[in-house]
Amino acid sequence: MSAPLSTASRAAAAERPAPKFWRVLARVVYRDLKLELRSREALQAMVFYALLIIVIFSFAFDAGQELTSHVGGALLWVAFLFAGLVALDRVFLRELPEASLLGFQISPASRTALLAGKFASSFLLMTAVELLLLPLFAIFFNPPPEARWGAIVLVLLAGTWALAASGTYFSALSLHTRYRTLLLPLLLLPLAIPAIVSMVQATQHLLDGRGMVGYWLRLLIGFDILYTTLGLVLADAVMQTE
Amino acid sequence: MASMTLQTDQPAQATSSSFPGRGAWWSVCTLLAFGLMEAALFEALKIAPTEKTMGIYQRIFYVHVPSFIAGFTAFAINFLASVAYLWRRTLKADALAVAAAEVGVAFTAIGLITGPIWAKPIWGIWWTWDARLTLTLVLWVMYVSYLMLRQLTPANEQQPRLAAVLAVFFFLDVPIDYMAIRWWPTQHPQPVFFGGPKSGVAEPIAVAFLISAIAFLALAALLFWQRYRLECDRQKLAAVRRELALRQA
Repeated sequence: MSAPLSTASRAAAAERPAPKFWRVLARVVYRDLKLELRSREALQAMVFYALLIIVIFSFAFDAGQELTSHVGGALLWVAFLFAGLVALDRVFLRELPEASLLGFQISPASRTALLAGKFASSFLLMTAVELLLLPLFAIFFNPPPEARWGAIVLVLLAGTWALAASGTYFSALSLHTRYRTLLLPLLLLPLAIPAIVSMVQATQHLLDGRGMVGYWLRLLIGFDILYTTLGLVLADAVMQTE
Repeated sequence: MASMTLQTDQPAQATSSSFPGRGAWWSVCTLLAFGLMEAALFEALKIAPTEKTMGIYQRIFYVHVPSFIAGFTAFAINFLASVAYLWRRTLKADALAVAAAEVGVAFTAIGLITGPIWAKPIWGIWWTWDARLTLTLVLWVMYVSYLMLRQLTPANEQQPRLAAVLAVFFFLDVPIDYMAIRWWPTQHPQPVFFGGPKSGVAEPIAVAFLISAIAFLALAALLFWQRYRLECDRQKLAAVRRELALRQA
């Protein structure tokens, strides 16, 4: 495997144009999901962690229809938020042992594409876990029959997008700090509070089947656009070689 | 005088400039800022008339609003300095950013403390989670976590870059927070200034407020400048230490 590159092929590699943005993004997503499906490390930890939180909540509160129609949205999102933090903490961790991040950083591929790819893979991972847990939540918490599940899935996608967009960015930012695992939630949560308020409110209104869902959903989508844009603009600065 | 006997390859005048703010100019500025603070206090407590509906409690307005003006100005400087750092990568910009963030956190804290003191007699409660109060608390928490990031990153060339990209992200909250009482129905009072035809105050109140605002900005500028100079010296010291370590190695 360690055959040295000939001068000619090295020159050819240098002349080759930088790979296209979408191609890099797709490769990063493909590779990340493949690695995750092989090891299932994050997946197992996230599902089990969120499940434990849901179970503990159902003991801590007397889970019934009345409770769910009051604070169900908040309980659901606290569980998803913790599970999401597990995923976001690990986004770049896989790259450290083999120094593959360094390899990427010195390659001509766009660093913005790498960050976008990491965002896409963590978004997909978080969404998969949440869709898996949603039926369990429905079983344990006896939501009122007027809950609109289709729309809840929509809010779930928009909310996960906001968490993944800001979270991937902060995960890259906190990668080389001391107490990385502690710092990620300390940086992410304050910024995400307005988005978290919107997703909890929208879910809550959908669970008890009334209220101003449209307003909170629009606000949430606004935060999605804001976080995504800023994340992409600053991606190059945050992903620089040290 | 000691520099006369020391045999160094550095010019002697370097020692006098390496102590920040020990000159006559600095003393004048300090005195001016404190004089303004005294004048503001006198205006707010003695000259300004007691407000009709809120009574004596309204006087905390002369501390509450100016401290937020100073705090938000500091955050704006932090944002501009962070953008400047990302653009030009000069350590001076980073020193400006850290000084502004610390001053901003301090003055925002004053605003966050004086707010509930006013709210208790007027609203009957210390705190409520309306858009303005929540966003302001979030803002304060954000910049505290910005300072924490600075502490938890290794002190190398990475630190300013990470702090700068974080600061740009966090500054998002400042304009939203400023507009919060205009966009959403809040328990927090509607804007007193720049809030449409119904806003504005009587002249003696406006005068007292203006003097307070200038005094708080002057105090903030004083602290900001001192912190900036301190940070510059810290950077110089770090550079000297690095060079020393390289020479010994």
